[in-house]
Amino acid sequence: MSGTSSPALRGPRRRLMPRYLGVSVLLWAVLAIFAILAIIGWAVLLVPSLSSLWTDQSLRSTFLPPFSDGFPLGTDNLGRNFAWRLIAGIGVSVFVGALVAVISVTLGLALGIFAGYFGRAADAGTNVVIDVTWAFPEILLAIVLAGVLGPGLEAVILALSLTGWAAFARIVRGEVLSLRERDYVAASRVLGYGKVRISVRHLLPNLIPITLVMTVYFMAVAIVAEAGLSFLGLGAQPPTPSLGGILSQGRDYLNSSWWPVVLAGLALSLMVLTLNYVSDGLRDHLDPRVGGRR
Amino acid sequence: MWYVLQRVGYAVLVIFLASLVTFAALRVAPGDAITSMLNPTTTPPDVIAQYRQSLGLDLPLWEQYLMYARGLLTGDFGISLTDRQPVMDIVLNGAVATITLALAAFIVAFGIGVPAGVLAALHRDSLFDRIVRGIGSFFNSVPNFVLALILVLVFAVQLRWLPVSGIGSWKNVILPTLVLAADPCALTMRVTRTSVIEQANADFTRTLRARGIPGGRVNWVHVLRNSLNSVVSLGAVQIRTLLGYTLIVEVIFRWPGLGSQLVQSILNRDYPVASALALLLAVVVVIASALGDLALRWVDPRIRVSSGGSA
Repeated sequence: MSGTSSPALRGPRRRLMPRYLGVSVLLWAVLAIFAILAIIGWAVLLVPSLSSLWTDQSLRSTFLPPFSDGFPLGTDNLGRNFAWRLIAGIGVSVFVGALVAVISVTLGLALGIFAGYFGRAADAGTNVVIDVTWAFPEILLAIVLAGVLGPGLEAVILALSLTGWAAFARIVRGEVLSLRERDYVAASRVLGYGKVRISVRHLLPNLIPITLVMTVYFMAVAIVAEAGLSFLGLGAQPPTPSLGGILSQGRDYLNSSWWPVVLAGLALSLMVLTLNYVSDGLRDHLDPRVGGRR
Repeated sequence: MWYVLQRVGYAVLVIFLASLVTFAALRVAPGDAITSMLNPTTTPPDVIAQYRQSLGLDLPLWEQYLMYARGLLTGDFGISLTDRQPVMDIVLNGAVATITLALAAFIVAFGIGVPAGVLAALHRDSLFDRIVRGIGSFFNSVPNFVLALILVLVFAVQLRWLPVSGIGSWKNVILPTLVLAADPCALTMRVTRTSVIEQANADFTRTLRARGIPGGRVNWVHVLRNSLNSVVSLGAVQIRTLLGYTLIVEVIFRWPGLGSQLVQSILNRDYPVASALALLLAVVVVIASALGDLALRWVDPRIRVSSGGSA
C-alpha cells in the first residue's frame, strides 16, 4: 500500500518468542501438535483394528464428564470415548483442509495466470466465471453442490475446492498483470520463448510467496467450511467423527453435557486461529509490501 | 454514464449465468423431488408419471429452464414440492425474517466496529488497541456456529437469560444478531483502523495540524471522513458475508429466514424453493457489489475501478 508509515512511528516492538519465517515458535509448536494429532487421527480412522477406539459404545457409561476413569475427555451420548472421537475429527478436518487448500490454490494459480497473461479473451472469460462463482457466498455454493452430489466428504472436498479458487485466481491475476511488465519477461519474449514457458519459468516462481500464504489461509477457511457443512448434515456422515458432526450432535445434548461442544469448538477455533496467525506472519515475512490486514 | 450501463449490463449477465447454475445444479441432482413427495414403493408408477408430467419434470432440461426463466421474469417462482405453497410466499416470509436479522447485525457491526477502529488507530499500540485487535482476531477465527453454540450454552442453557432458539420476543433476536455481527464487526474494525492510520499520516493531515487546527477536529472530521470511503466500500463485501453466515446461523437458532428455508429445501430436494432462494441470494450479492462499485466511483473520483478486492 502506501509506504507512508515509517518504522520510526511504530516504536520498538518487543518480541517474547523467537520467530521462524515471521511466525512465533509457539505457533509452529501448536501447529505441530495439531499435525501429530491429525496423523494419529488418520491412523485411528484408517487402520481397521483401531476403529473400535472411537466406535465402541456403552450405554452404561453415557455422558461421563472429562477426567473419568479410562475416559480422559469423557464420553458422548452413546458412551463412546470422546478423546478418540475428537482426535479422529481433527484428522478429518486437517485432511479435508489440506486437500481443499492444495486443489483450490492449484486451480487459482492456473486460472489466474491464464487470465492475466493469455490475452484479453482469456481474461474476460475467466473474470465472468470468477464473478459468477463470487456471486454466491462460498457456503451457499458449497451447500448447493453438496446437495447435488449427495452428502459426504467427497462432496465437501469437491464443493469447497470449486468455490475456493476464485478468490485466489483474482489475486494471482493482479500479480501477473504487474509481473508481465517486468524486463526479464520482456527479454524472454524477445528471445522467442512461448507463453507457457515464460509462465512456468518466470511468473510461477514469483508467485510462490503469495501461494504459500494463501495455502495456509485456505486451509483455515476450508476447515471451517467443512465443519459448517458437516454441522448442517451435508458433510461427513454419522459414524465418521468430524468436528462439525460432533458440534451438531452436542447441540442436542447441551443440557446434559457441555464438553463435546466446548472441546470440539475449542479445537476447531484454536486450529483456525493458529493457521490465520501463521498465514499473517508468513505474509508479513515473505511479502512486506502488503502488510494490509494488520 | 457509459460505465454505469456497462456495469449494469455486466451484473445482468452474471445474474443470468447464476440462474443457469442454480437451475442446472438442482435439476441434475440425483434423487427426485417426486420420491421425497410420494413413496415410490407403494405408489403406482402411472401416478408417479402423472405427477412428473404435471410438474414439468418430464420435459427436456432446456425447456424446463425456459419455463423457469419465464416464471422468474413474471414473478412466478413455482410451487413448493413439499408443502404445495407458492414459492413466492415462502420467499416473502423468509425475507422479512432474514432482513430483520441481517439489518440488526449490520447496525451492530458498523455501530461498534467503526468507533472502535477509529479509537484503536488514534491510540495505536496502546492497551486499548491491543485489546481491540486481540478481540478482532479472536472473532475472525472462531467459526460463527461455534460462537453460537457457546453463547447458547452460557446464556440460554446455563444462565437461562435468553431463549435457545425460535422467534417471538425481542429476546430471540439477541443471540443470532451477536453471532452474525461478530465477524463483520471484527473486519470493519480492522479496515477502519488501517484506513484511519493511513489517513492520519497523510500529507493533508500534517498540513492541517501544522496550520494549528485542533487535533480532535482533524481526527474526527478530516481523517474520519477520508477513511470512511474504504469502510463504505466494505459494505458490499459485508452483505455477501452476512448472507453466507445467515445460512448456518438461522439453522442453529431455528430462525425462519431464507437461510434455514434454503438448507431445509436442499435437504428435502425441493427444487423450486432451493433454486429460487439460492438465486435470490446471488442476485442480492451481485446488486450489492455493483452498487458498491458505482457508489465508490461516485464518492471518490480518484478511484479507477480495477474490480479487485478479496475479503
